[in-house]
Amino acid sequence: MSKPELRKKLASLSFSEKINILKKLRRRSLAIAASGLRPSKTNPRQK
Amino acid sequence: MKKTLELINRMQAEGVIGKYAIGGAVGATFYLEPSATLDVDVFVTLPAAPGSSLLSLTPIYEYLTARGCRVEGEYIVIGDWPVQFLPPSDALEREAIAEAMPTEVEDVKTWVMRAEHLVAIALRTGRAKDQARIVQFLEQNAVERHKLDEVLTRHALIPKWQRFERKYLKETNE
Repeated sequence: MSKPELRKKLASLSFSEKINILKKLRRRSLAIAASGLRPSKTNPRQK
Repeated sequence: MKKTLELINRMQAEGVIGKYAIGGAVGATFYLEPSATLDVDVFVTLPAAPGSSLLSLTPIYEYLTARGCRVEGEYIVIGDWPVQFLPPSDALEREAIAEAMPTEVEDVKTWVMRAEHLVAIALRTGRAKDQARIVQFLEQNAVERHKLDEVLTRHALIPKWQRFERKYLKETNE
């Protein structure tokens, strides 16, 4: 499935189904943030 | 989200808040594909306290903390979701609440801003993520252009829209 087709398919889901996806995306974002995998926002030049 | 909306609806039924509408990324998700967000923006009308013309979020916080919700910075966590309650700051946001679309999430009734208001508010806010969201709305034909034009005209946003068009839309059409 092409990217535009996938976006169209996702957009056509019911609001409840989309909210469930949002919930999963949010959990994933929080897990990534908690794992420390994201690079520090501190500019190394400022150290 | 079901618990979150049930409690907000109960708060509305008990007169703590007036009409409300979901905006921001969650509101946009009603029309577009889901995109990651950490919180829910709830635009809410507040009844003025007797004898005062000042509007305060204190009754909302008191109501919700008494029911086990905790405050985290500018958010209050209801169910699983941090919620930011935003009283309307101008006529555009007041109109967006007044004309919000009724819908349901897991059989719980709620209201979401119309696509044209979400786009107009994103245009006015103007951060990079807002501009990207406007492009998404247009690419997916999720706005009715004549209705959007009416909203933009009514709220003096046409010059800003023209700048946005020149910057993000004209180049991609060439």
